[in-house]
Amino acid sequence: MSENKGRRIFGMPVPLFILAVLVVVLLIVGFLAGPIGSQIFQKLFNITLNFPDWLVVKEPEVHLPAPVLFHIGSLGITNTMLATWLTVIFLVVGSYLVTRRLEMVPGRMQAIVEFLFGWLYDFCKEVAGEENGRKFFPVIATIFLFVMFNGWLSLIPGFGPAIYAVVGGEHYELLRGANTDINTPLAIAIVSFLFVWGYGFRVFGFSFFKQYFNFGGIFRGLGQLFTGKLKSGLSTFFSGVVDAFVGMLELLSVFIRIVSFTFRLFGNMLAGEILILIAAFLIPFVLAIPFYGLELLVGFVQALIFGGLTLVFVTLAVTPHETGEV
Amino acid sequence: MDPEGLRVLAAGLAIGLGALGPGIGIGILGYGAMQALARNPEAKGAIQTNMILAIAFAEAIGIYVLIIAIILALL
Repeated sequence: MSENKGRRIFGMPVPLFILAVLVVVLLIVGFLAGPIGSQIFQKLFNITLNFPDWLVVKEPEVHLPAPVLFHIGSLGITNTMLATWLTVIFLVVGSYLVTRRLEMVPGRMQAIVEFLFGWLYDFCKEVAGEENGRKFFPVIATIFLFVMFNGWLSLIPGFGPAIYAVVGGEHYELLRGANTDINTPLAIAIVSFLFVWGYGFRVFGFSFFKQYFNFGGIFRGLGQLFTGKLKSGLSTFFSGVVDAFVGMLELLSVFIRIVSFTFRLFGNMLAGEILILIAAFLIPFVLAIPFYGLELLVGFVQALIFGGLTLVFVTLAVTPHETGEV
Repeated sequence: MDPEGLRVLAAGLAIGLGALGPGIGIGILGYGAMQALARNPEAKGAIQTNMILAIAFAEAIGIYVLIIAIILALL
């Protein structure tokens, strides 16, 4: 019965049309109330539009080092630390609630969580192999979930300048996305570095660190020189020097990796936060919506990158070298 | 030239020049991935995973530059 499709205005069903009208109205109001519209009207037409105070957005101020809100003992608690605790509480309470009554035929919440964990587990096994994937899965899944929910929880409306605390006469926001403070990505990067070296040491013992100090070639070359074999002595000596240099570079690259992890996550999250703040400032109601979508995607991808790269490095660390020289 | 103007100019130059490298790099990565996918559509999972991994490495360089530009412009 084609007449029973519900009423359509302009070819769209009624709720969609109402939504479209609402978006256009908000766009116009936001444009006029924001800085672009008010400047245009002032400069061109000399009209000053006065909007009520709750419609006008103040210019955003970003504090790069996270501000300290209060102290526990001698430890200063910043607003990003509060956000971290919120993420942890969310994850712990969430997992408790989901796993309270596990059933063979899962309900909807359990199915979603099972899908997520199954996908992560398959990813670990695909990169690291069967048994290694199983061993690495807890840490990788923890890193992934922590980073992802740090990013996603910072998008709910309580975070940011809406709720603020007054400390020492200055207004600071009470909650701020945890990944926008450089300490959180640095801490997770150090944890993943210790994880990689810990597993390398556990599988190979002290000879794991021998790959960074490759002086065997130099001594062999010198020994050959002393026993009179000039040509082979020189060639072994020089290739030994190159090997030692490469070993030093590998050691340096391990520490540069920590810095790179930190800045990748920190930069992405900070840029996303500033982007949303400025989009909300320019055209108040509407412009921030596509950037919210982008932030969701970026939070997921960055968490995946962090966990995936840790997984790749730890797999490399426990794989025995197949070449003749270790 | 006054220091304030130079600072903002440095911020603009940093992000402008710094975004060239990662942009081209990610483009080359995408090109390689598309070619590999066209030759061997069955390896889609492996190609996709490795492409995303490599793109994250290339993008991180652009993020370093963004941090410098933000610090120069805002602090």
